[in-house]
Amino acid sequence: MAAGGGGVADPLSPAGVPCAFSPQSQAYFALASTDGHLRVWETANNRLHQEYVPSAHLSGTCTCLAWAPARLQAKEGPQRKKRKSEAIGTSNQADLLALGTAVGSILLYSTVKGELHSKLISGGHDNRVNCIQWHQDNGCLYSCSDDKHIVEWNTQTCKVKCKWKGDNSSVSSLCISPDGKMLLSAGRTIKLWVLETKEVYRHFTGHATPVSSLTFTTIRPPNESQPFDGITGLYFLSGAVHDRLLNVWQVRSENKEKNAVMSFTVTDEPVFIDLTLSENKEEPVKLAVVCKDGQVHLFEHILNGYCKKPLTSNCTIQIATPGKGKKSTPKPIPILAAGFCSDKMSLLLVYGNWFQPTIERVALNSKEPHMCLIRDISNCWAPKVETAITKVRTPVMNSEAKVLVPGIPGHHAAVRPAPPQTKEVESKRKLGEKEVSIEERLGALDIATKKEKDDLPQTNSFPVLLTQGLESNDFEILNKVLQTRNLNLIKRTVLRMPLHAVIPLLQELTKRLQGHPNSAILMVQWLKCVLTVHASYLSTLPDLVPQLGTLYQLMESRVKTFQKLSHLHGKLILLITQVTASEKTKETTCPAQKAKLVYEEGKDLGHAFLAYCFHQDNWDEDEDEKASEKDEDVDEENEEEEGDDEDKDEENGEDRDVASEKELNGDSDLDPENESEEE
Amino acid sequence: MAGYKPVAIQTYPVLGEKITQDTLYWNNYKTPVQIKEFGAVSKVDFSSQPPYNYAVTASSRIHIYGRYSQEPIKTFSRFKDTAYCATFRQDGRLLVAGSEDGGVQLFDISGRFEGHTKAVHSVDFTADKYHVVSGMFDARTNQSVISVEHGQPVESVLLFPSGGLLVSAGGRYVKVWDMLKGGQLLVSLKNHHKTVTCLCLSSSGQRLLSGSLDRKVKVYSTTSYKVVHSFDYTASILSLALAHEDETIVVGMTNGILTKKDLVPRRRRPAYRTFIKGKNYMKQQDDILINRPSKKHLELYDRDLKNFRISKALDRVLEPTCSIKTPEVTVSIIKELNRRGVLANALAGRDEKEISRVLNFLIRNLSQPRFAPVLINAAEIIIDIYLPVIGQSPVVDKKFLVLQGLVEKEIDYQRELLETLGMMDMLFATMTRKESTSVLQHNTSDEFLENNKIES
Repeated sequence: MAAGGGGVADPLSPAGVPCAFSPQSQAYFALASTDGHLRVWETANNRLHQEYVPSAHLSGTCTCLAWAPARLQAKEGPQRKKRKSEAIGTSNQADLLALGTAVGSILLYSTVKGELHSKLISGGHDNRVNCIQWHQDNGCLYSCSDDKHIVEWNTQTCKVKCKWKGDNSSVSSLCISPDGKMLLSAGRTIKLWVLETKEVYRHFTGHATPVSSLTFTTIRPPNESQPFDGITGLYFLSGAVHDRLLNVWQVRSENKEKNAVMSFTVTDEPVFIDLTLSENKEEPVKLAVVCKDGQVHLFEHILNGYCKKPLTSNCTIQIATPGKGKKSTPKPIPILAAGFCSDKMSLLLVYGNWFQPTIERVALNSKEPHMCLIRDISNCWAPKVETAITKVRTPVMNSEAKVLVPGIPGHHAAVRPAPPQTKEVESKRKLGEKEVSIEERLGALDIATKKEKDDLPQTNSFPVLLTQGLESNDFEILNKVLQTRNLNLIKRTVLRMPLHAVIPLLQELTKRLQGHPNSAILMVQWLKCVLTVHASYLSTLPDLVPQLGTLYQLMESRVKTFQKLSHLHGKLILLITQVTASEKTKETTCPAQKAKLVYEEGKDLGHAFLAYCFHQDNWDEDEDEKASEKDEDVDEENEEEEGDDEDKDEENGEDRDVASEKELNGDSDLDPENESEEE
Repeated sequence: MAGYKPVAIQTYPVLGEKITQDTLYWNNYKTPVQIKEFGAVSKVDFSSQPPYNYAVTASSRIHIYGRYSQEPIKTFSRFKDTAYCATFRQDGRLLVAGSEDGGVQLFDISGRFEGHTKAVHSVDFTADKYHVVSGMFDARTNQSVISVEHGQPVESVLLFPSGGLLVSAGGRYVKVWDMLKGGQLLVSLKNHHKTVTCLCLSSSGQRLLSGSLDRKVKVYSTTSYKVVHSFDYTASILSLALAHEDETIVVGMTNGILTKKDLVPRRRRPAYRTFIKGKNYMKQQDDILINRPSKKHLELYDRDLKNFRISKALDRVLEPTCSIKTPEVTVSIIKELNRRGVLANALAGRDEKEISRVLNFLIRNLSQPRFAPVLINAAEIIIDIYLPVIGQSPVVDKKFLVLQGLVEKEIDYQRELLETLGMMDMLFATMTRKESTSVLQHNTSDEFLENNKIES
């Protein structure tokens, strides 16, 4: 239970722990957790493929990582073949992984070899590396850092090719254009660079906070009439820290447009974004955004020009634990990352905690606006034994080989995960706390109330909610509180509510007592509770009678109809029993009647006929009545009389109402009347 | 010849919700227009000069919008860090804004950048976030004239046009201070359940508005300091501004959305006489104004009643358009028919569809105390009329079952009420001897009644 819930408030899952799917087939998922370990998971069977701890993992944690593109590796294949024979046959496998660290170095890790390939240090960054991007074709690597510079690396020689100042403040994100000739960088503003000359081509401004993610969303411009120069007309996407909006920008030929073309709203700060590129005009861009609150939002939109309103998601995916029994309520499991599979119709979800994420392939159903998957992760919650192997080497994998790692299903080790390096967490937090936004403050408030609720289920927070609702006269809050059916809860709430809220509560109840009996009966329960619990307080009030006068009058006027209602109720009961009885007899009496007739027929035919006639007469009369009633002017005396009688009775009744003080007399009058009417 | 007197439709006031001048006035706004900003909108300020533009401060930018368009007229984005509190000068020509880095910047509204200067008037109260004591500074002496202790971090301060009263908002409180009496606390209001973030005064000075993180804007009367109206918004409110003559309410929220509501223009058509005689026509002394007697229009049901088509009249008021929207009309007609003694005739002779319509109306309205006496009568009459043919239509039978369930619930509810009345009588009895005697009589009668019921 504790382990299952721990994932939610896990201190180790702040936004932006670097992780990535391997390109092309998404066979692997690389994740650099805050304790300095790099883990590579197989997405197909959710197994740990490799684990690697850089030698300097304590001083320089991994801040970002990027898989090398597959095309590049295919090119590199023969080179490595000379050195190591084992690389044969894995040329199409994702191999190189670039890791940026907090101290400014960049490590290239080879997953095939399971060891460090090379280090890029000399002449590079002297501060935290924020983002790394591989060039698609020429094997170059681009990195940006807190030291305001962007560096172009040659990965073959491990040397700096070029280094230039990217912004006045730290450069937080990079992205290379689809044709490989342009580079987007984001610091305070988003800049588009020409890679050959390293000149700024365009500026974009719009985010208040550092941009955390940048991606191109199209590879062809929407209108194909104009000649395509590789960049004009393309759309790209940007997300920022503390921002719940993803902005979409368009590179235009004229330099006028400075605002975002459109934006997507999500529920929290985005931490992981994946999308399917749209290759033609008609195909919508599919976008999966993982938020800090652990939800995935899916968007599907055809990018065609300006859209003022922020777009909301087509589909939201959440994962929760199954609520077993009474004690454990379903708890959300945070989703860590999501990636589209190559067929664009299913999604790889990574969820759970950072030590042992679960990877699952989920088919997309675009029709449903909200999906909640229920998964039990408690048994695959992986405690990590401290003496575990720090490096798992699986150079050649054959299908029969089984990798034994702690925490795969079936291994239920009871050891709790070792508390991670708190030092680093703290340092990270400090960075985050530099600027406390209002949103964070609000978030903190929310957390506080949540905790309160968890500790003492409901009874403690109900009085608080009630007083809040009464003070601000908030309809929703009051509804939530007052519409409980739990008598015990009502009693405890009334008991714990502050005294000054009693009179406002009574006034609120007065308003609500006039409604439908379904809801009003709940309000009476509240009223009774208040009167019994706070009787002594109420009796000390000097102006009690004027305060409760309206309430009293209201109730009195309502109960005036009690007698008549009871009377009506009696009639209705009789009517309904008749209906049910007649339904029963309908089924049974038909053959019985026949039998009777047959019996009498033998004795005297005329008598039977008479009886039959009588029967029919009755029926005719009924029908006559009906027919006459349908006419506007009714002449039948019987009916008139009946109606008159009724009216007189009613008038009597009304008189009684008016003379409410003489109710005693009314009582005595009514009884004989009742009898007469029931006749 | 006596004319036909139309049926008087009784209106029954609903208890609790009072419609005042204020609710009418403040409800008279159009549907809001939403504008997306780049960050939480921390300040909205209207220019006091026509064309009444307003400046919106959100994250590191200031936008200036016009009254009618949703596109910014002008944007100032020269801030290195978060901007605060962009405010117009009295003449609407200069804009002053504070910033996170501590500088105060002054902009010319025509777009020329003025450079760093000192503030010309004391606007930047909220430029630094935590005043425990809000200070009032005299611009001439540069000294603190007066200081009052609010008790919570002050979010917003507002000076009345007369300068005599100061309103401060902080925590969940709105406090009003008398400046002339040396900072005496006049009123302390606690009508929000979360922090109050912004204050605003209506153009007449008669109403005070406060916006809060609990997503509400409340309107207070400045004479009684009672809440006279409240608006609901979708997100926590950070800033609030009212245009000249209350024509627009602009609210900025934490999710970066700016909501703008315009007043529905009140346009009175000129009187008929203006068209005939011209605008400047004045009545001469010996002219006699003769009003043409206005033609009386009878409602359709009244016309039916006048011609004694009682069933048809009842049919008309049982039409869904009438019976759902204005049940009081239907009830009044039923009452009138009952008074005439023809209710039974009007109700009789209906087929399954019509009778189920009547029953539907009963089911919907029987539990309302204002209609109950009339409708109970009608229900009894229906039962009496249709008792012989009961059981022939399952639809009607089902309706009767529903009605029975409803009546049963109402009876249960009233029984509970009677018990509660007993309790209250006890309470009142303990109050004072004088009142207790009168109330006790009620008590006895009620209890008697209840006992009787239980026995029967």
